[in-house]
Amino acid sequence: MTGFHHETAFYGSDDDFLAIAVPFVEGGLRESQPTLVACAEKNTALLRDALGRDDAVTYVPGADQYARPADAIASYRDIFGKHAQQGATRIRTIGDVPHPGFGVPWDWWGRYENAVNQAFAEFPLRGLCPYDTRITPPEVLADVERAHEYIATASGEHEPNPGFGTGGELSRPVPDVLERGAPLVSLVDPTPAAVREAVGAAIAGIRLSEDNSHDVVYAASEIVTNGLSHGVGPVRFRLWADDSRVVVTANDRGPGPSDPMAGLMPTTVTRSAGLGLWILHRTCDYVSMGCDEDGFTVRVSVGGSEPGHT
Amino acid sequence: MRTSGVTDVVVGMNPNDHLCWPFDDFAEFRARAAEFLVDGLRQGQRVCYVARGDDLATHLESEPVLGEALRDGRAEVTGLESRHHMPEEQVAAYAEATRAALRDGFTGLRVAADATALVRSSDSLDAFCRYEHLIDKYMTAEPFSAMCGYHRAELSEPAIARLNSLHPVNNAWCAPFRLHATADGIALHGEIDGVSLDLLSLALQNAAPARDPLRVDATGLRFIDHHGLLALQGYARSNAATLVLRSQRSSLPRLVSLLELRDVECVR
Repeated sequence: MTGFHHETAFYGSDDDFLAIAVPFVEGGLRESQPTLVACAEKNTALLRDALGRDDAVTYVPGADQYARPADAIASYRDIFGKHAQQGATRIRTIGDVPHPGFGVPWDWWGRYENAVNQAFAEFPLRGLCPYDTRITPPEVLADVERAHEYIATASGEHEPNPGFGTGGELSRPVPDVLERGAPLVSLVDPTPAAVREAVGAAIAGIRLSEDNSHDVVYAASEIVTNGLSHGVGPVRFRLWADDSRVVVTANDRGPGPSDPMAGLMPTTVTRSAGLGLWILHRTCDYVSMGCDEDGFTVRVSVGGSEPGHT
Repeated sequence: MRTSGVTDVVVGMNPNDHLCWPFDDFAEFRARAAEFLVDGLRQGQRVCYVARGDDLATHLESEPVLGEALRDGRAEVTGLESRHHMPEEQVAAYAEATRAALRDGFTGLRVAADATALVRSSDSLDAFCRYEHLIDKYMTAEPFSAMCGYHRAELSEPAIARLNSLHPVNNAWCAPFRLHATADGIALHGEIDGVSLDLLSLALQNAAPARDPLRVDATGLRFIDHHGLLALQGYARSNAATLVLRSQRSSLPRLVSLLELRDVECVR
């Protein structure tokens, strides 16, 4: 097998989850394939109980593996690359991709599900992304269906997905709860330097670590640079904050990046183009990129206990 | 310790400070240059005014302290035409003049110059930028200080920014960053992003490391993005040198680590 076999499965009960996941993992073990489980806590416990034997399965805590999509891609590529280097001809992984049902905003995970079709294409990989229909919002299920080439069922079928490939466009931007208030900073076509200065002043009183403060300034500088370089003007920058979290947005009138990998994979490590968005996807707590009648908006959240979303 | 920063005060500068002084008004520049030189005399330095214009000596003589120094030889006025064309030759000439001043019992040499006429063409600007960094490097080790005046109306904004970026002391924010020599490499101050990348590349052209590694003191750098960092790394690589970055901030090692720049070393 070569290439990435990207599969989803929709289940509505723990039994159905096990009916899908257990044969998938056991199939990998039977054929001595490197087999990874990166599920959320509850599903990991269910799987451990059902499988009985732990030694051959690599369990990665889902919360660690799926902290950020760009981190997950980098980490998976590292893991898959090492297995391939060691001669693995097939690799299996099953993981719970975060979404609002887990209390996490969806946008960048929706982009992740699209991007991995390219990002993992070079690996002999079978990846299963099961979704719990009891907690997954319908719009997420619709995105998931468009992003996976195959669908597995509790009755043991693995079918090509007729809905695959009909998506891939950017989702509509979902405003952050902080945006209900008035922005603390609002600038039109500012220079990146002016944005950094305004952001530095605006976040001076906010409870952020040194790294988080730097990440906000870097992100603000980068999303404005991105809008000015690749967007269609005017570029509007805004900042909102509460006492421990900052949200910055940059909007332009263009269509946004056409590459589904934008921000999730560095285009190349030797050239700086395309690296900026990727860096903030690796450092900030949440980055959404979406289009609506106002054009293209990048939205970044840093700090607080978790990014707010409606 | 050399001064680094933006200031409009020329009094109190160290014996090895290097000032960039774009000006709009000749009279204003002459007044600041006279203050700078008088302050040098107070510190026991020999001082020299290099400029164009015949009225210069007359003007300086009207300043009591300078007038007296001109008469007794502690100060002199020379014309731009006496300068050497090759940057290395001019640095050697100032090194010799500094040694002579020390031999004659002075504590060092201080020069104020209106260098506008030397940077009007792009070739002469390139050569002079090379000279500015070479002389800056010389100043890190010897008691030589200089104030370089540039008449704004005769030069383009990019030219002013380029000259500004090569001096540790500026009178205004004409460049987003400053690159100057240190005893073992270069120091960067200010901010470097995608917008200032071209200016950084130009400034780096003059700063070829004499030996591996390329030590960059980034302590005074408020911001550098991946564009700037990769430019520094690329520059070090093209000179077959390792890049060693000094910074107290955690953001720089984080960026280096994220970009997996294995040939860049971060130190505090």
